Amino acid sequence: MKIIIVGAGEVGYNIASRLASENKHVIVIDKNQDATQRLSENLDIQAITASGSNPKVLIDAGINETDILLAVTDSDETNLVACLMANIISPTTKKLARIRNADFDSYHNRFQTENPHIDTVINPEIEVVNTIRKLMDVPGAVDVGDFVDGKVTYAGIRLDRHSPMAGMKLVDFSSQFGEDRPLIAAIIRKNEVIVPRGSNTVEPGDLIYFVSQTEKLEKMLTLFGKKALPAKRALIIGGGRIGERLAKLLERDSIHSKIIESDINRCHHLSEKLDKTVILHGDGSDKKLFLEENVSQTDVLISVTNNDETNILVSLLAKNLGVENTITRISKSNYFPLLATIGIERIVSPRLSAVSSILKQVRKGKVLSDISISGERGEFIEAIALETSDITNKPLRKISFPKGTLLVCIIRNSQIMIPTGESIVKPGDRIILFAVKQAVKNLEKLLTVKLDFF
Amino acid sequence: MRWKFIARVIGILLVFLGFSMTAPMLVSIHYHDLAMKTFIQSMGITLVAGFILIFLSKSRGSDSYINQKEGMTTVALAWTAIGIFGALPFYFAPDFTNFTDAFFESVSGFTTTGSSVMTHIEGAAKSLLFWRSLIQWLGGMGIIVLSLAILPFLGVGGIQLYKAEVPSPVPDKLTPRLSDSAKILWVLYGVFTLFEIIFLLGGGMPLFEATCHALTTLPTGGFSPKDSSVAQYNSAYFDYVIILFMILSGINFSLHFQMLRGKTMAFWEDTECRFFLGLTLVLTLLVAWDIHGSVYASAKDAFRFASFQVVSIITTTGFATADYEKFPGFSQAILFVCMFIGASAGSTGGGMKCARIIAGYKYCYRELFKIIHPRSISHVKINGLVIPDAVLRSIMGFLALYMGIYIVSSILLAGMGVDMMTAFGAVAACFGNIGPGFGSVGPAENFAHLPAMGKWLLAWCMLLGRLEIYTVIILFVPEFWKK
Repeated sequence: MKIIIVGAGEVGYNIASRLASENKHVIVIDKNQDATQRLSENLDIQAITASGSNPKVLIDAGINETDILLAVTDSDETNLVACLMANIISPTTKKLARIRNADFDSYHNRFQTENPHIDTVINPEIEVVNTIRKLMDVPGAVDVGDFVDGKVTYAGIRLDRHSPMAGMKLVDFSSQFGEDRPLIAAIIRKNEVIVPRGSNTVEPGDLIYFVSQTEKLEKMLTLFGKKALPAKRALIIGGGRIGERLAKLLERDSIHSKIIESDINRCHHLSEKLDKTVILHGDGSDKKLFLEENVSQTDVLISVTNNDETNILVSLLAKNLGVENTITRISKSNYFPLLATIGIERIVSPRLSAVSSILKQVRKGKVLSDISISGERGEFIEAIALETSDITNKPLRKISFPKGTLLVCIIRNSQIMIPTGESIVKPGDRIILFAVKQAVKNLEKLLTVKLDFF
Repeated sequence: MRWKFIARVIGILLVFLGFSMTAPMLVSIHYHDLAMKTFIQSMGITLVAGFILIFLSKSRGSDSYINQKEGMTTVALAWTAIGIFGALPFYFAPDFTNFTDAFFESVSGFTTTGSSVMTHIEGAAKSLLFWRSLIQWLGGMGIIVLSLAILPFLGVGGIQLYKAEVPSPVPDKLTPRLSDSAKILWVLYGVFTLFEIIFLLGGGMPLFEATCHALTTLPTGGFSPKDSSVAQYNSAYFDYVIILFMILSGINFSLHFQMLRGKTMAFWEDTECRFFLGLTLVLTLLVAWDIHGSVYASAKDAFRFASFQVVSIITTTGFATADYEKFPGFSQAILFVCMFIGASAGSTGGGMKCARIIAGYKYCYRELFKIIHPRSISHVKINGLVIPDAVLRSIMGFLALYMGIYIVSSILLAGMGVDMMTAFGAVAACFGNIGPGFGSVGPAENFAHLPAMGKWLLAWCMLLGRLEIYTVIILFVPEFWKK
């Protein structure tokens, strides 16, 4: 399988590295010499220094034999032209483009049906903003996401000492909480991912991932001793694309929000685009501005500048000034392990979500979603159970799940079922599984679903 | 300043004005009234003056480009000339004894004000009354816009004249070509007029009166061929038909155009239109509540008369179905404020215009907001579009000038021996192009008794108001004339 990636930025690099590690034939095209050099030095791929939207370059790269074209440069226009040219030269190649400008949003579907026939348009910023929005309403959660088109939510929660659950064994959950007990998918204790068995206990300080029906989430949180407090006032640091989109979303939900942006021209742009949001010109880490704007009164502070270090500092400063609920945007994955130790856990990463949504979109077969958690240390996989796989039509206790995997729940006719040893997965059921990174390959075999591409 | 060009434009406009006098002549022939001679004299003088100007300004150069300065001068002088020559039929008619009155009536007509010095309207010749209505109709959409629509002679320079005559705070060209825009505006205007005539005829109003009323409703003028204006008929049907067309005339005509092109929600989506309609409704209800019981016994009557007066004043039309000076103070205060608010930008109404009020309010709010959040950045937006700071400054300047000129003119008028209430009311009514004022120039009285100087002052105010101040007042800034 041959894949051409146009754009060797953060997203291009990470997809290339994932695909290369799965033994795909990857060609990356980028105008920037440094970027291509970094790729060809670090990864087993072919890198071309040229413009990815140039038809001659595409032909030279072998677009005609290519299965998938990923256009992920920072420029929407380049991505679109690359897809357009690919569509003309080699109509059978699948095309995927990253398009970030919000004004294109309403045309995503038409890009698929009309020229340039882009099979999938992805915009990681939309997902990041949605994640931030979910995190805002669940102050206790470190990570939130959903499956089955939003009907099922997973959340990662740091268990504190006062939680009624602290110290309990998982087997006792059913007697304690009855039908509506939380479905625990993973426990992360001291950077180690534990796939829980009945004998495991949950301890204070654990990061617990659980799954619940979206409408029952609030109830689940109270079991953990956390309250879902909808935010009323938000402060956004950084008025880039994400900040702008988020502010728009918050305006729609009538949440009072302020944006602090340091670039005056960007401020003017924001003020033109936004109606109710207060636009403040200043440095995000300026304590005086924080005090002037009463930062301690805000319910949630979201730092989404383009600079990881600024974001981290802003979040720390805000915590220091009494803001409990902070959300931080981090791009560099090597920061992830460090952040928990300084108390910054509610993290969003457009890069990671771009990579995972591209991979999700590219995956073939019956895998519906594939979500990396906790800095790619584990994965949630949502799949449809196939008749041919070993998993169907027998009680679960007769199936030997690979070590480090767990069938979290079964969804049949949009009902969530908590699996027991006697449960039977029927063909066509949606199943959500959790696997630690090392076990993903074995899990694929069990599902007889190859995590293949298109 | 190229005077030849200016003279040519004025000459052409005068010829046009002269020929438009054929319409009242036809009326005169139909009714066999005695004004035929009046119009022949006036037409003769106007045409001769026009042709002389055209002849004198004959130049071989076909350079039709003019700059903003020349555009403003042309428009201001053209309107003055039209006011003077349009006054001739009045001057020659037996109803007028001096030129001051005739000029006042003529300017009041062309500027769509509707303040009158005629004491016995129904006694005048039908053709003269028709001329009175016709000049409002011509002035309403702008006589220069009309000439742009039908005479292609202005070419590129037209945009400067257009901007000077229709100085909307948020200018919008309907189509890429100016002459097409002007045509659309005039066709819309004509079609609405026709509809109103049909509606009024449907209610049993005689054709002559229906035409006169329609011709003065659409330009939000307010001249009526009846002594006691629309009150004469005492018909709820006529009231509501006229209310409807006054409101339509008070809405930006480009919204009518959008509606016709299939944007059915155009009225609702436009901030200014929403504000204008909402404000009219709220003020109507307030006045209705106030006069219910104290003036009118039934709620239905209270609403009918409240809505008519409020709409008539806020759209700056100036028809009357009731003497609002007999209303309680609260209602009078509301109507007085309506005189300043005016209708929408791009409509035929006068006053400050809702768009400027909204922009002014938002500007002030932004200033207060800045005090609370010193480092905030914000823009004033109308319809989701940013109003550039330059436009905003010009709007704030307009509002300040409006109030300044209003106060100075009122004091001057009071200095001529007019009582204070009348002085403030008359200037508000003339400056806002409304018609009836307060005090001794209320809807039941007229402007005849004012001193001659006062009439010239008010006529000047009408021109200032119609051309939205800048076009006229700029001629009085010394810097304007420096080479």
